[in-house]
Amino acid sequence: MIGVILLSAILLGDTLTTSSQNLDEVVVVSRGQGGKRSTKGQVATIDEHLQELNHVELVRRGSYAWEPMVNNMQTERLSTTIDGMKIFYACTDKMDPVTSYVESSNLQSITLNSGLNGNPQATGNIGGALDLKLRKAGFLHHLDSRDIYKFNANTGYETNGHVQVYGADGAYSSKQFYVNGGAFYRHADNYKAGDRRKVDFSQFQKVNAFVNSGYRLAPNDALEGTFIYDRATDVGYPALNMDVAKAEAFITSLAYKHLFENSIWESWETKGYYNHITHIMDDTTRPDVQIHMDMPGKSWTSGFYSTLTSQFTWLRVPNGVSLNIDGYYNRLFADMTMYPGGAAPMYMVTWPDVGTLNMGAAITDDIRLTDHSTVHLSGKLSWQHQRLNNEEGYKALRVFFPGMHQQYHQTTGRIAANYQLSTVNHQFNIGAGWGSRAPTVTEAYGYYLNNTFDQYDYIGNPRLKNESAIELNTSFNFTILPSFNFSIDANAFFFSNYIIGQFENRLSAMTVGAEGVKVYGNISHATIANATLSAEWRPVKGLRWQAKGSYSTGRDDEGDYLPLISPFSYQTRLSYATGSLAFQAEVKGNALQSNYGEKYGETKTNAWTVVGLSGSYAWSHIVLRAGVENLFDRYYSTYADWCHIPQKGRNIYVNLSFEL
Amino acid sequence: MKKVKGLFLVLVVVALTACNSNDDGVQAGIEIPGITITDDIDCCSAEEALQVYRFLQTLKIVPELQTDVDGKYNVFAYTKTGDFHNGYNEVFFVATKKATGNYIKNFEISGLNPLMHMVKMDMYHSTPVGPVAESFNDGYLAVKRTWVSFIMNTSDAGNWNLSYDALILGAKGGIEKHDIVVNALPDGQAWVKSFKAGNDTYYLSLVNPSDFETGTNEIQAYISKKSAKATDPYQVATETFIVDIDPRMPDMGNHTSPNNTPLVKQEDGSYKGTINLTMTGLWRIHLTVKDEQGNVVAGDSELSSLYWDVTI
Repeated sequence: MIGVILLSAILLGDTLTTSSQNLDEVVVVSRGQGGKRSTKGQVATIDEHLQELNHVELVRRGSYAWEPMVNNMQTERLSTTIDGMKIFYACTDKMDPVTSYVESSNLQSITLNSGLNGNPQATGNIGGALDLKLRKAGFLHHLDSRDIYKFNANTGYETNGHVQVYGADGAYSSKQFYVNGGAFYRHADNYKAGDRRKVDFSQFQKVNAFVNSGYRLAPNDALEGTFIYDRATDVGYPALNMDVAKAEAFITSLAYKHLFENSIWESWETKGYYNHITHIMDDTTRPDVQIHMDMPGKSWTSGFYSTLTSQFTWLRVPNGVSLNIDGYYNRLFADMTMYPGGAAPMYMVTWPDVGTLNMGAAITDDIRLTDHSTVHLSGKLSWQHQRLNNEEGYKALRVFFPGMHQQYHQTTGRIAANYQLSTVNHQFNIGAGWGSRAPTVTEAYGYYLNNTFDQYDYIGNPRLKNESAIELNTSFNFTILPSFNFSIDANAFFFSNYIIGQFENRLSAMTVGAEGVKVYGNISHATIANATLSAEWRPVKGLRWQAKGSYSTGRDDEGDYLPLISPFSYQTRLSYATGSLAFQAEVKGNALQSNYGEKYGETKTNAWTVVGLSGSYAWSHIVLRAGVENLFDRYYSTYADWCHIPQKGRNIYVNLSFEL
Repeated sequence: MKKVKGLFLVLVVVALTACNSNDDGVQAGIEIPGITITDDIDCCSAEEALQVYRFLQTLKIVPELQTDVDGKYNVFAYTKTGDFHNGYNEVFFVATKKATGNYIKNFEISGLNPLMHMVKMDMYHSTPVGPVAESFNDGYLAVKRTWVSFIMNTSDAGNWNLSYDALILGAKGGIEKHDIVVNALPDGQAWVKSFKAGNDTYYLSLVNPSDFETGTNEIQAYISKKSAKATDPYQVATETFIVDIDPRMPDMGNHTSPNNTPLVKQEDGSYKGTINLTMTGLWRIHLTVKDEQGNVVAGDSELSSLYWDVTI
């Protein structure tokens, strides 16, 4: 019987160790039901899958490597882990959010925990925590008699930008051993925005290969290894002054899993991991470059976590507890060499080889108070030590902070509680939490990092205090039987010592054309609040209508608007499915962004509405998906499009998946 | 027990004997190529000689300035590179006894006089020099230091010669108008500049540009006054100035750095301040010279046309 649990534990990954209650949202990337998924299916990028989630927006700097925002907070306030592993981007300009170093084919699912209630490995997750679950073939059920072989092939083509996608993967499972692996290739030329306007430097190319395997040492013990190699080349960033010659990641881990029998303990997983990223920017293909620059960045991380889960009844109340300890050591180094024509090159260290050693302990507890009500508690305490290993970078920063040290340490923590009451036709949730985060390397030690969003050079501030926030959230969901469902979901974050770039008029900009210099600082308080209303109606079998509207607001300590806060956004979908055929029509848009962060260099974004159609047909082993995005070829950009680069114009796609 | 005690005694005796024999070996142990250590009180002890020898290893000899005094002594001059360049050059002198090769502790180098012959106009002028060469600390008694700051390099337009007087244990010597070559600095380096105040011409010589690195640096300079007779070496100015510095990167839209402090006169006659350099590359250090009352004497208050160039 235990063997069966192990099988399902590994196949489904997130269901055993993580209770479904603390998962706000799941994107199911590979096969399966019960989550969200891009209509493009297996061929869709991770970014396209992420767009399906509530609370998530994506910052676009080009057509590749979008930066996820959760609850209107960017990377600094989020945790992104790959199967619980920490990984840190290597580009000082945020061209490479870590989600860009995996492919859809690598993943089983992406889970999002909104707000402070993160997965056990998450640290600094004020806005939310994303965990990308790797896809593992899993061991064979002990009742199955024959080993399983599987094969998948995907291909896709998009007219706009001649996007080509080719992927293939295979899996083998036995009772003792499993292995699955595959390779993926994407290629895109420059795309055209609405009105057939070409967007230069929006091309990209990417290859990805992965292998996951497991070996069962004993009926209740297994070793699992994962390996991902990902390499993007010739990636254009129309919103920035530079492109990327190469962004390369090497991600690997080895885990040991044990399941307990007849014990209050349920499972124990210990994983060791290593990953490194090399990121090389390139401006040699750009016209009118005043000063050619080399800007490489490197990130490497080594770490471990160990998670023990338990199910027990205490005072007649069933508890599901998970205990986690984790640790990692990360090093971030980036430098910049500028070549003015004829004169000596100018060199500076932009991330001074910061070594961060972080140790944390986390606990979560799911308490089933009654049949209708549950309480979910989570908490984590982390300590970290940072050292500036590069002397030149350290000395340069000391010009601005003469009293600074070469080493710093911070203690951060988070605690969150959630109460849920469910009846047949309604569900009510209320939660609260407090959490803090340490400043990022860019915020604390970044050196003249030019931000094209507001055209300022940013200097880190080693004297920053930790930022903290109190979160309140609630949701209410009711169903008017049999077919109408309505829900409201709202959260608010009350920040103390909110970290944001502040004007420093006494300093002179470095980048030619920059407006000035900002130094990261703490502002005493800030508020971000979000509310979403959604409705779903299924009048007849197969027909479904969904509608969603979201409103967000963000203000700083002076009551001024924060930048990159979504305007009112809406989306409505009508879908129809019968047998192997499915159709969907979608209208989505944003209202005029009138509450934009003018003080922070943000400019207004106009309202927009686009229409999309999609359909799919499954036939034997083959699934055909096709659709049109931006049907009326509207020229538009969203508030999250960096420097207002336009979105894709009309795009027709056709994807073919073959599964054996 | 007795046996153990006896053994212990033997060990102690052996150890003491070993100690004694080592004591004698200290001086015999130091060997400096080309130098014989004797009990000559004019010369360095073995430790002092070694220290001087090691220091000189970090420099290079300038062959043109070598001379023989009275057939008994040699005088050698050293610079960092073994030659001269435009701007401030530190010059070190040592004198040795020919018999032993050992360094003489007390000797004098004076009258350092560089002279430029401007070929076309057939005119002569000198350049800023440091005061009489002196030992720069007790540890280096036998090394005398001074400096010369060349306001132009050797070229078709003109060439340099140099003279100095040496007084070694009562014997007089020196060199008279030995031709030397002063190399031009590479592009992006300009370490000596002149300004006029009233009827006088002054020279600003930057001392330590080669030590600059990214971060906070001490900046040191000398201000020398052109002599009434141009062929006399220009001595350090007796007037007191304050020099504001404004480092800029002309290749980066005149990017500058914060928290620089002006050059202020020190007891030793040099000027010192603090310069912050945010990256490597060409830094143009704009200078505004003020008198003690703060009145601008030379240079503009904004992006002064009086500047040094330093490329790090």
